Amino acid sequence: MSFIPGLGVVKGMATTLRRFFEPKATIRYPEVPADVATRFRGRLQLLYDEYGTLKCETCFQCAQACPIECIDMGGIDTRGRYHVHWGPPETYGERRDESALRRSGRTVPDEAYAHFDPVDLTAVDAILDEVDHDPKAMLRILEAVQATYGYLPISALKHISFRTGAYYALIYGTASYYRHLRFEPPSDVVQAQAVDTSRPDETAYLTLLGAALEGRGAPAGPVH
Amino acid sequence: MAVVTRAWNRLTIPGRVLLGLILLGGLLTAALIPLIVFAPQILDILGANLPIVRFVVAATAVLLMTIPTAFLIIYMEMKIIALMNLRVGPDRVGPFGSLLSVVHGLKVLMKEDFTPTGADSTVFTLAPAVTYLAPVMALLVIPFAPGLFGVEMNIGLLYLFAVAGLSVVGLLMGGWSSFNKYSLLGGLRAAAQVVSYEIPLVLSVVGVIMLAGTMNLVDIVENQSGWFINWYVWQQPLAFVVFFIAATAEANRTPFDLTEADSEIVAGFATEYSGMRFGFFFFAEYVGVFVVSALAVTVFFGGWNAPFPFPAIDLALDPGSLGIGLLILIAVVPLVGTLVFAAPFYLMRSSMPAWQAIVIGFVLFNIVAVAAVLGWAFVSLAWVAGLAWFMLKTYAFVFVFVWMRGTLPRVRIDQLMNFAWKWLMELAFLNIFITAGAIILISELRR
Repeated sequence: MSFIPGLGVVKGMATTLRRFFEPKATIRYPEVPADVATRFRGRLQLLYDEYGTLKCETCFQCAQACPIECIDMGGIDTRGRYHVHWGPPETYGERRDESALRRSGRTVPDEAYAHFDPVDLTAVDAILDEVDHDPKAMLRILEAVQATYGYLPISALKHISFRTGAYYALIYGTASYYRHLRFEPPSDVVQAQAVDTSRPDETAYLTLLGAALEGRGAPAGPVH
Repeated sequence: MAVVTRAWNRLTIPGRVLLGLILLGGLLTAALIPLIVFAPQILDILGANLPIVRFVVAATAVLLMTIPTAFLIIYMEMKIIALMNLRVGPDRVGPFGSLLSVVHGLKVLMKEDFTPTGADSTVFTLAPAVTYLAPVMALLVIPFAPGLFGVEMNIGLLYLFAVAGLSVVGLLMGGWSSFNKYSLLGGLRAAAQVVSYEIPLVLSVVGVIMLAGTMNLVDIVENQSGWFINWYVWQQPLAFVVFFIAATAEANRTPFDLTEADSEIVAGFATEYSGMRFGFFFFAEYVGVFVVSALAVTVFFGGWNAPFPFPAIDLALDPGSLGIGLLILIAVVPLVGTLVFAAPFYLMRSSMPAWQAIVIGFVLFNIVAVAAVLGWAFVSLAWVAGLAWFMLKTYAFVFVFVWMRGTLPRVRIDQLMNFAWKWLMELAFLNIFITAGAIILISELRR
């Protein structure tokens, strides 16, 4: 309590007058962008859809594109079948080696998850030797692998990626594109026979297309 | 008729607008003819009734003046309070957001004008007009500048208080006719406040009236001419404090804005109002702020007088004496001025294209020319200088009112009433007694 009436009012008025001249707290966002580090990319998080399931399709593109390799992905794919992993392993030494590997764009062999999918990969190496580790012959490689194992093990795909230098996403895309390639072994004999494991005749649809184009003849088919 | 309708329907919208404008122009031109023909008679009639003409012109001018004034004060309020809150405030519409209050006005115009069921629609409609017209009528007697006032009344101050006090009738009408008990309570509360503070407000200027010996506002202003020492605020500081506080309450401003305490009661008497009627109450409030500020300036701060005797500069400019040269000057000076102002920019920066330099030069020339004309008017026309000083002081007061609104919290209703009756009125009486004693003492000593 002061003894001068109105002193508090004067003090308050002085405060607001000082505020009047101070720099303002407002951030004019669209005109003035927020002051964040240039490499800041926001917070990493997995999003859920309206049914509460993960929106992540395990496509690995985020992990592949991550410039500082901070994204580590692992788990069951969206259909709950395959255990997949992409990311730095636990120890630093390996991590350093693989960091260089990953910068080259290759898939990193993942020892930590090897026991989930125990497959002997020497056959894959033999097949790759045949085609001289050429990723352009991917379809042939995949068909040979399927002929050997009866299906395409994920660890084999990763091994192919590691050896040839092709992106895992590309290999997976190739393997999932063709109907005669499959990712799991046939459950019984009937199923094994029901599924046609030979490569479909790709020139067939070209013939059909030629017929549809009023007999101009089939164009030259792709060469594999 | 059908032919006309069909022809009209065939027109495109721009065509309709153009045709309308042409017809309007023709009509106005036709109306001009009798005006010119009977000009002497019309002038005679106007000349015979000069006071009435003057009054009508002044009333129209004052009525028109209130709208930009209210817009300006609303903008000032939004911007200044924002700056005091460390915000930026309006900055989207117009330069620095200055057109936001205009947009607000348009918005209010477009809203639904609603009258509640059971309301007394006549009184309900009239209430905003009464509230709005009270300060507008008060503006009539305020001397803006030498020779620039609506009416010179020998009871100007009394008239002003009487008319400004009428706004409470509008508030009461609005509260009463809304058919809503809360509106009625709000109206009564507003009436109680405004009537209570009317008393110290009027009593506080009695001291000034005693010193000036007149209630004529023009005479009061002229009594304060010369140095700023002559302003009545130095002789009547207590009266000024009482006046200022009471005026704040009278204009329903924070910390005494209990009539419509935005954050507490919904809107008091204006609860049932919407659209432009509601807008009129707000216009009235801001015009009231202007009136109260202008009154404080007039009575206590020397009105149109400069704070010091302005050195008389005689600029003997007589443009008419140039004759035909004046026309040539008017034609040549803008061109030459633009080029002269553009030249340095064009020469200094090789990267600047000529058109950019010319635009800059044009803008600069205009600024300089307007400044020169205003400066010339300020120096050589008494009413321009007076108006400038008056507006400067008035808006300084408006700033203080806004500043107070940005700072002070609202008082309680019982504190409000106690303060008016137990403190302000006594202080006002004390001021009257002291002033009277001092006047008698000085006159005795002089004898």
